[in-house]
Amino acid sequence: MLLTIARRIGIFAATLVAASIITFLMLSILPGNAARVALGIEATEAQVAAQEQLMGLDRPLYVQFFDWFGHLLIGDFGTSTVSGQEIGPQIGDALAITGVLVISSVILALLFAIPMGILSAVRQNKADGVIISGISQIGISIPGFLFGILLVALFAVKLKWLPAGGWDDPGDDFVGFLEHLILPAIALGSVQGAVLSRYVRSSVLEVMREDFLRTARAKGLTPNRALMRHGLRNAAIPVMTVLGLQIASLLIGAVVIERVFAIPGLGSLLLDKVALRDLPSIQGIVMVLVALVLLLNLLIDIAYTIVDPRLRSAS
Amino acid sequence: MTTTDAPIEPTLSVRNLTVNSAYAELLHGISFDIAPGERVGLIGESGSGKSLTATSVMGLLPETLAANGEIHLAGGHGDLVHASESTLSQLRGNTMAMVFQEPMTALNPLMKVGAQVAEIMTQHRTVPSGQTAAARAVELLAQVKLPNPAEAALAFPHQLSGGQRQRVMLAMAMANDPQLLLCDEPTTALDVTVQAEVLRLIEGLVTERGTSLLFITHDIGVVAEVCERVLVMYKGDIVEDGTVEQVITNPQHPYTKALIAASNLSVVDERGRLHTIATSAITLPTAAELAAALEEPAVGSPAAAAAGAAGAVADVASADAAAAEPAVAAPAIASTPGFVIPHQRRTDPDERIIFNEIPGEPLIRVRELTRQYKRRGGGKLFGKPPVVHGLRGLDFDVAKGQRFGIVGESGSGKSTLMRLMCALDEPTGGSITVSGQELAGAKERELRDFRSQVQIVFQDPMGSLDPRMKVEQIVAEPLRGVSREESRERVIAQLESVGLDADVMHRHPHQFSGGQRQRISIARALITRPRVLVADEAVSALDVSVRAQVLNLLSDLVDEYALTLLFVSHDLGVIRHACDTVAVLSDGRIVECGPTDDVYDNPLHPYTQKLVSATPSISELAGRARS
Repeated sequence: MLLTIARRIGIFAATLVAASIITFLMLSILPGNAARVALGIEATEAQVAAQEQLMGLDRPLYVQFFDWFGHLLIGDFGTSTVSGQEIGPQIGDALAITGVLVISSVILALLFAIPMGILSAVRQNKADGVIISGISQIGISIPGFLFGILLVALFAVKLKWLPAGGWDDPGDDFVGFLEHLILPAIALGSVQGAVLSRYVRSSVLEVMREDFLRTARAKGLTPNRALMRHGLRNAAIPVMTVLGLQIASLLIGAVVIERVFAIPGLGSLLLDKVALRDLPSIQGIVMVLVALVLLLNLLIDIAYTIVDPRLRSAS
Repeated sequence: MTTTDAPIEPTLSVRNLTVNSAYAELLHGISFDIAPGERVGLIGESGSGKSLTATSVMGLLPETLAANGEIHLAGGHGDLVHASESTLSQLRGNTMAMVFQEPMTALNPLMKVGAQVAEIMTQHRTVPSGQTAAARAVELLAQVKLPNPAEAALAFPHQLSGGQRQRVMLAMAMANDPQLLLCDEPTTALDVTVQAEVLRLIEGLVTERGTSLLFITHDIGVVAEVCERVLVMYKGDIVEDGTVEQVITNPQHPYTKALIAASNLSVVDERGRLHTIATSAITLPTAAELAAALEEPAVGSPAAAAAGAAGAVADVASADAAAAEPAVAAPAIASTPGFVIPHQRRTDPDERIIFNEIPGEPLIRVRELTRQYKRRGGGKLFGKPPVVHGLRGLDFDVAKGQRFGIVGESGSGKSTLMRLMCALDEPTGGSITVSGQELAGAKERELRDFRSQVQIVFQDPMGSLDPRMKVEQIVAEPLRGVSREESRERVIAQLESVGLDADVMHRHPHQFSGGQRQRISIARALITRPRVLVADEAVSALDVSVRAQVLNLLSDLVDEYALTLLFVSHDLGVIRHACDTVAVLSDGRIVECGPTDDVYDNPLHPYTQKLVSATPSISELAGRARS
């Protein structure tokens, strides 16, 4: 099992290197010169050339890459060409906010999806099961940002229970932090929860037809106990795949939701930097997002290996 | 001898049991008793209601089906048909236990097998603690003769073979010493030699503990191995009830007579055809005739017997032995005059023997054929992956017009060989030539002609037909460059040749039974007028009566179209009927090859002997039941 995990980590590292090359190349090939952007449109050719030299842009591409990648490895993202600030700390702060948002929305999604999915599978032919299926079907059809705007309209504008946007640091004002977190987390997690509950439902339905569940019944386990003891872990395997894909799409979804709720997360930071054409910052943020998605995939792979003995090595 | 008349309370008593779906009655009020310690077989075709009977007893019918009538277990547990879920849960796994058909899927893949065995004891609190349950699980695994039971207890199901998993199921079922053990086709998915061991184990365990047994199977041979009494089911009714001996030697109901006749692949009518349920219904052999047929000693010439004896002493100069035999035992191949099939065996595993070598230009020539697989994920992080040998060097010929059988158990390499011979896979070494064309390393476009020359009938009559295509499209699919009218004409003619009406063209595969689907597969295979027909376990998924019909049909068509037949199967009986020559495959090598009857009656290689003795003929069974 350790061997399998070691192999997965190896694949993760290799993919990360490949992704960094692609990220670097894409932003280098794009028209637009970082030096010119930094100086503004009125700069002369000589000024631009001098700036290029200063920023190291006159060196061969591969040298630039190794320089950038080498610094990345020690956590140095460089400085912004627009503001001249260190990029690393900016990304760190924004990532903490986005991380809290994404994790809380995943937890909300799971808290909704797992019980609802199981219930609608077990009671598939009963009225309540059908109603739950219907609700999640509606949830799938509504885009997250639209749901977010509806939530703001109801709870912030009409009822005035919660703030419409912004962010509080949990260290400064914990209650304020929670108040600011609730609506965006619901907006971001609800769609994922609805989608996930459909997968939980079909996975549980699938597992209920399995022969080993019938074996469990034949051993004297009641239907519910058989499902709890033998069914759910088996049902979790396909759901984990979907969850891995969803967390990736949650990170992307956060970019939009952060805009709707004016939250200073990674998504807002990225959009700001794009507007400023701050190439080194954009490069850094994209790289962080890519690394996060890859890391999540790695974690899901390791989780598979732990849950499913068939994936452990034969020895 | 039935013991139902005995004054003691029967272990299981079923009265007037009916099972209804929303549309039809599936069981028509069956009644039977099983006495304590009695071993009863329940036999019938698919859809006859065997499994419904067992699941009704266990109270595990699907929600869409409703049972009525009465089911009682000894010990005053009340009527199970109307019992509550909690009453049934207390009985299941404790007073009655069940072993299911599919060893691959019946165990939880994420749980160690020891824990799965222990669970049935902790569930019913028949042991004081979890530790005792775990220790007792290891004991039980030892009782079902799993090697290294302590280690096996820590294994996950996928680490065990099918036979081993079925032993685990059995250990689980017997854990709480139930009064009644229900087995639903427990050995159908296993290899014959493994089946024989598991059957012996089941019989041993229930006899030792005095457990009553209800054993469901479609195979009369299996019933004769394990049971004392047989119930024969037909279309939701029990049509016959008697001792194994009575039912085999003197069946009363026409269906039972036909079933026994159709099961018997060594008895044919005057035209050399197998008995089928249909033909038997018209001209049922009289009981006396059947008994006479069963009494007949196995066909074997004195010369063959002598050869067998000689084979035990030394490696037979096989050509001589074969030449000494009468033509009946070793039929000459019409296309190769003067050639007599030799009976050869392997003594040294690494010796190179060319089996069935045919002088001149045989239709199929296989030389030093190997296929290795690299196993992924096993072993070390770096370095070469371990190699698995599918085939370890095969040498044989097949003459034009020969009916060549390849028999072997799972893992023997027969499926690999089948795929290579159909050019569906590439060998890692050696050569295969079919009418002069080399298949090894051939490009797909060079194989176009080959593809129309060699056609395949697959095992699974459901999975091998596209459910969204109509029969006409399915059968016409291999045709290329043929006008619509001609295509339709040929489809109609081909469907008629396999005994199907032209109007089935417009239907979809799901509207047909397994046997009919296999006929459609055969029609599709023959429409290009191939020279070679490959049958891959083509009748293994069919009921015995249908199996006989399809085998008869194949046999007729091979004659009619002058085909060369390659028949791959795990079933010696089927090969014996369908083929004139058989090669026995074991662990990627041919260990024996010769005229089918000869190999069957005088197996030379120990593996073949084991295989033959694991599949007794009906006549042997009758003899065993008597003794």
